[in-house]
Parts: sequence; C-alpha cells; structure tokens
Amino acid sequence: MQITCTINGKVHRFDCAPESRVLDLVREAGMTSVKAGCGEGECGACSLFVNGRLVNACLLLAPQIQDAEVVTLEGLQEETAAIRESFAEHGAVQCGFCTPGFVLRAYDYLSHGGERSEEAIKAALDGNLCRCTGYRKIVEAIVKVKS
Amino acid sequence: MGVVGESVVRVDAAAKADGTLRYTDDLAFDGLYGVVVRSEIAYGKIRSITYDPAFDFSGIVIVDHSDIEGRNANVVLTDDQPFLAATRVRHIGEPILLLAHRSKQRLRDAAAHITIDYDAQEPVLSMEESLACKQRLYGEDNVFKAIHTVKGSVPEAEGLHSLDKTYTTPHQEQAYLEPQSMVARYNGGRVKIIGSMQCPFFVEAALEGLAGEKIEVEQAPTGGGFGGKEDYPSLIAGYAYLLCKKAGQDVKIVYDREEDIAYTTKRHPSKLRYKSRFDSMGKLYALEVEIIIDGGAYVTLSPVVLARCVLHAAGFYDCGYLRIDARAVATNTPPNGAFRGFGAPQVLFGIERHMDDIARALGLSPAAVRERNLPGADSVGVSGVPITEHARLRALFETARRESGFDALYDVPSPHRGVGMALFMHGAGYTGVGESMLASSVSIALESDGSVEIRVGSVEMGQGTLTALPQIVADALALPVEMVTCRTPNTAEVADSGPTVASRTVMIVGRLLAQAASKLKTALGDYDSPDGYREAVTRYRQSGAPQQFGASYEQPADILWDEDLFYGNGYEAYGLGCYIAEVEVDPVDYRVRVVRFDAYNDVGQVVNPMMAEGQVEGGVAQGIGYALFERLVYETGRVRSPRFSDYTLPMAPDLLKISVRFLGLEGPSLGLGELPMDGPAAAVANALGHVLGNAFDALPITPETVEEACR
Ligand code: FES
Ligand code: FES
Repeated sequence: MQITCTINGKVHRFDCAPESRVLDLVREAGMTSVKAGCGEGECGACSLFVNGRLVNACLLLAPQIQDAEVVTLEGLQEETAAIRESFAEHGAVQCGFCTPGFVLRAYDYLSHGGERSEEAIKAALDGNLCRCTGYRKIVEAIVKVKS
Repeated sequence: MGVVGESVVRVDAAAKADGTLRYTDDLAFDGLYGVVVRSEIAYGKIRSITYDPAFDFSGIVIVDHSDIEGRNANVVLTDDQPFLAATRVRHIGEPILLLAHRSKQRLRDAAAHITIDYDAQEPVLSMEESLACKQRLYGEDNVFKAIHTVKGSVPEAEGLHSLDKTYTTPHQEQAYLEPQSMVARYNGGRVKIIGSMQCPFFVEAALEGLAGEKIEVEQAPTGGGFGGKEDYPSLIAGYAYLLCKKAGQDVKIVYDREEDIAYTTKRHPSKLRYKSRFDSMGKLYALEVEIIIDGGAYVTLSPVVLARCVLHAAGFYDCGYLRIDARAVATNTPPNGAFRGFGAPQVLFGIERHMDDIARALGLSPAAVRERNLPGADSVGVSGVPITEHARLRALFETARRESGFDALYDVPSPHRGVGMALFMHGAGYTGVGESMLASSVSIALESDGSVEIRVGSVEMGQGTLTALPQIVADALALPVEMVTCRTPNTAEVADSGPTVASRTVMIVGRLLAQAASKLKTALGDYDSPDGYREAVTRYRQSGAPQQFGASYEQPADILWDEDLFYGNGYEAYGLGCYIAEVEVDPVDYRVRVVRFDAYNDVGQVVNPMMAEGQVEGGVAQGIGYALFERLVYETGRVRSPRFSDYTLPMAPDLLKISVRFLGLEGPSLGLGELPMDGPAAAVANALGHVLGNAFDALPITPETVEEACR
C-alpha cells in the first residue's frame, strides 16, 4: 500500500505492506535516532512524535501515520539543545542507545510544564528503559535543564 | 593540568544525545539481511533437512556446516562448540542453517518452508540431572571444570556452632539496550567485519579459525555490553562472514529482542552450599563451600567464571580452615557466559547471606559478626597468600557502618522497613597469570599538529573508555584532554590491548598508556607550556625519530600463581565495597522497594568521578534487578517469553536514592566496572531478612516469595 506523511516537515511516501512497523519505515528513511530496543513498547528507544504525541514507533503500523506529521529527534535539534547539553554535563549518557528516547521524553515532559522534582520526573520516565545509568543522572539532568 | 580525577564530560555524549552516532544497524547499508535457522529441540540428532519444493528458494543464500572452509569450531577455551551444527544439537536455538536475502519478508517465508527432522533424545535440563549423568554430554561426568582447594586445617576448638545452608542464584540477562548486531562488508573477495562487540581481537581470532584467512574486525559504537558482547559476537560475526563470503555481498545480521534474550549467553545460575563452624561470638573457624554453576551446552567461558567463583567464595573474611569444591556442569540449555561480575555476584550473594545467617543464629548484629571476621595482617585468603587489603577493608567497613547509621537502623526495626549490608571485594583484571598470557600492548601516535592518538583494542560500550583513556594520557603529558583521541578499534590498525572485560581497561590498559605517554614525554624533552609543547613537537618531528610509542604488559615480580595448586595471587589488585540497603515491604501487595542505597567503594584512584559514579549507579541498578525483578523462566530448555514485558528490568521509579562514595582515593586505579554488581543482591536480601525475620536464600525475591515468607 501507499503511505504518505511528513517526517520532520518533509513529505515522505512509502510503498509498503500494511503491517510494516513505523519504526522500520522511519529508520529506512534515515531517521536513525529512532532505535529498535525491544520491539514491544517497553523501552522507549524508538520514541517519536506523531501529530504532537510522543509514541513508540515499534507499536505503530504504517496506516497509522497516513497523512500524519511525524517528528523525530533529527527534527528537534534546536528545541532539545538545552536538554542534550544537560544530559552530557550531568553524566546522563553512557552507551547512549536509550538517550534519544530519553531526550524526547524529557522534551515532551518539560514542554508540557512538567514539575522539576525528582519524584515527578521519575514517574514520567516510567516508559523508558536504561540499562546503563541507574537513571539517577538522567533525572538529575532533567531537573537541571537550563530554561 | 592534572586531568585525571576531574569529571571531564564524555567525548561521545553529544553525538549520542543528538542521535547522530551510528551504531551497527544505523550504518549505511545496501546488501542482504541474514537470519539464523535454529534447533527446535534441546538434544538429539539432525535426521534430515527438507526444503519445500513448492517454495522458490532461488535467490536465497543458504549456508550450512559444509560451507565452512576452516574449522567449524568457535574456540574460546576449548573447541567443543561448532558455529553450525552438523549432526547433533545440544540446546534449543542452536544454529543449524543461515539464510540471506535482500527482502526480510522473503527471508521469513523461506525459513518457514524449511523443515528439520530430529531424533530427539531426553535432554539434561538441570544441574542435578547433569551430575547424575542422566545423559553423558561432556567427558566422563558432564563436568566442564572442577576446582578443589583446601587451606589451613580443620579446627580443633570445642563447642563450635555449625550452620549448613544452600543458596541459589538464577540466570540473568545482560539486557544491553542495543541487541547483538553485525555487518560483514564484501570487498573484492575480502571480508571486513563491523559490529557491536567488546573484544575485536577475540572476534578476529575466532573468525580466522573459521575462515582460514586473515580478517579485519572493527568495533562499531556499542550500545552496552556488560559481558554479553564478550564472547557471543564471535558467533554472529561468523554467521555474517559465512553468508557474505558465499553471497559475495554485504550481509547484516541484527537480532531482535526475543532472539537476543532467548539464545545469547546469560549469567550462570548457581547452587551454593555453605557449611560453617563458628564460636558464640560469631568468629569463623571453618568454612566449606560447595559451588555448582550451570554452564549450558558448551564450555565457552565457564572454567574462568568458575575460577572467579572460587576466588571470591569466602569474601575476604579471615577463616582458619577453608575448603572449596566447585564444578561447572553441562546441560542442554543455551551456553552461559560473561556478565558483569563474572561469577563473583553469585558467590558473594552466598557468603554475604551466610554471614547474616550466622548473625541470626547467634542473635548478634550482622555488622558485629562481619567485624569479628575482618582479616588482619596475618590473614590468608583462599589461594593461600596474605590478604594485603586488610587495612583498607577495615577502613571502608568502619566508615560505611558509621556514616550510614547502620547500627541505629538495625537496632530499631520497624514492621515494614529493614536494613542490610554486604561487604565484598572484586579482583580486577584477569584471574591468576591471565594478564601475562594476554600480553597486552598499547600504542600512541604523535600527530603533526601535536595531538596524540591512542591506538588500542579497548572499546567504548558505555563505560567511558573514549574519555578515561585520553584523560590518562593527557595527564601524563600535561596536555588538555582535547589533544588526545582514540582511534576506532580495528584489528588491522590498533595494538592488541586485550579484551574490554574484567574492569581491566583503566587499571591495566590505562597504566600501559601512561607508560607509553611518559616515553613520548621523555623523547620530547622539557616543556612547560602549550607553546613549549608545540615547539618540542616540531623539533622532535623534524628529527625523524619514531612517532609511535608503545608499552606491553609485564607481570609484576611479586605476582605468583600456580594453577594446579590454585595457589598465589588470584589478582593483581582488588576493589572493595561496603553496600548498605534499606528496604520497605508493602504489606498489601508484598512488593519490595529499595528506599535507600549507600554504596561505599574503594577502587583506588578515580579517573573521572562523574563517570565512576555513573558506573556504580548503573551496577547497583543491575544488582537490584538481580535481587528483585529479573527472572527468566525456562521450560524444557527454552526461555518462556523472552521479552522485556516478562523479563522485568528496573525502571526509574523503582530506584530511589542511590548514594555513591569513594574512599581510599590514593594509589593506582583498581578497576571499577564490575564491583557494583557484586554487593546489591546480598544487601537487599539481608535487609529483607531484617524486616521479615526470614531468610531469603534464592534470587530473585519476587512478591510471591515475599508473600510466602510472610505466611
Ligand atoms: S523498541 Fe519501541 S519501545 Fe522499545
Ligand atoms: S545509556 Fe545505555 S541504555 Fe541508557
């Protein structure tokens, strides 16, 4: 089937099977910040925005992005600059495989006016897995993002 | 300009955070995808392989064992494991065929049209069945390796108490977030391997045996390893190689999460029996330990894991008579391998639970019993040599006990809250004379602009190599850290600095790099400013003298090791830990929450405090996962539900306050990566014992086991 959507503001057309995962489509389109960590909605490594909502690309099928506006970390570099800097400065990045997902999660959280408390941030991170950091430095980095 | 000891920001942080860093699966690729067709049975013979005539297999690249030109053996320590099964399979998921095609859909369809028939035999699925020789899987007795060691003599003291307890630990999945992935690039008949790995030179050696030709291996940015990418990548690299060679095209293999959990190596499960004798004050007189670990279907690294079990089985406690009988056994389950801690987390759970059991048997405090058994200047360890760390260990223990307020917390138990302790050590580097056998070497190169390039096979997999090694070299040369970089680990271009395992990168490789850097410094002569440095570089380069400087490992003269007697210095040095956990049990749903965790460490000099803290926090999280969350259920030799939705990892809300302290900062760096995995499980289990007055002898401790203990 034919799927048309915008990714980071540019129109993309996919000729794909209806059961194709959005995760694979956007990666094939070059958006490799979207990572395949678990393939079942548990880790958040494949996070991206669809029509403004942060979702797991591994759980979406191609028809679900028909006519949608898809935005990945590649398209949010300016908006996430302060978050990324805070992650680097506070040691929140180790192997880095989870990091794009966490950066988008933090961006979503903060841009919706999320409270800068450790407890609230921990709760907001519930859908993202990190096996390296023990989360403490990620939480700290989000608390301390310069606004 | 001492950059060692400063929290320099990781050099790779920006590219990781903005998503531009290319991991293996992100690399530009125009070739075939490869998949592995695996055994459906745990044990038996392959009777036949049928390709459905109704399916068009043309265009599908198919590889079986007969395509292997070199040796069909993945040699780690022995050669028992084939790359592809020829006639016999020994575990579910054992690779039999490889397929490649440009379309992933065609590949799946092709795999579905292949039928493998077996003569199935009764598999051996437990350590007990293995020892009873239900089937003969390996040697005479199914034992991959046995280690027996006795130290001291049986105590003659009268009226000693005794305790006989068994502890068990389960499989644990490394769960690096990036699954195993490998690309083989075809270039005019030669193959270059690029992938996610800890040990490029291990992969190179394994492939050269398989291929019978020289192969270049390059590490791609690696999304976590924790031991899971130590030995396993040799297999998947072999599969990519074989398909690439036969197809004459690039081939990529990326495991999905289920395949990764189900068939790659895990932490060895263990069964640990501790029999002790002690006086009424809790002083140990005798300790007999029986260790059995499940190696799975092939030897892989089990003998070395077992040696590490033995060397850590009694902790550093002083004990007049120590006897250890340890065996690694074969079963028809996927082979187990390296995982952060490498055998130590299992036995340290055993000994640290046992110390609490002794305390409980006598009605004493666990801290008092540990204190009574701290080693002194004349205490001898399990391998017969003095415990030279005794003073550091005591200092660490006393600080942790005092600063955490352990005694006060312990003396006033609350109905739902408890506190527990673990005191432990971790040998850094290879066991015994392993380091001298590796004969690691390093190289640094002086570039024309005065910058320095490090050329070693040690890899970045998240722990900070790309930042810590430049810090060490920059420190030795009195340069800003930006002046030093690491070349991508590629076996054709860097020195073989040994594998990135066993917390050896900073301790061993870092030390060698400091030596190489000081050779460069001597060659350059005096300089006392950045400008002076540049002038010295220009002068030196004009002289035409060598631009590369190296150093190789030489065993310190006072290290001795006798493998047969299991006697000598098990390790060059040990990191030390004293971890305190406070837990709360929810009386309604029996969930356990770790409400506070204090990790006191002595790892000598810390190169980068921020990264070191991150290592400890991450290790503690894995240790808490091992204690409370992570459970793989095997059914007839197969992981049931190999998914993150069933194999629960700790998430952010599960981890409360972890506080990290480093003591004993002077002296050389001792290796830090593995230590924090060793203590948490025992500390958490002991804390639960404190709340519930019950022993938690088996990991993981789930709400079901807590509920049972509360009945
Ligand atoms: S890959 Fe989509 S949530 Fe893990
Ligand atoms: S940094 Fe490795 S998984 Fe988060």
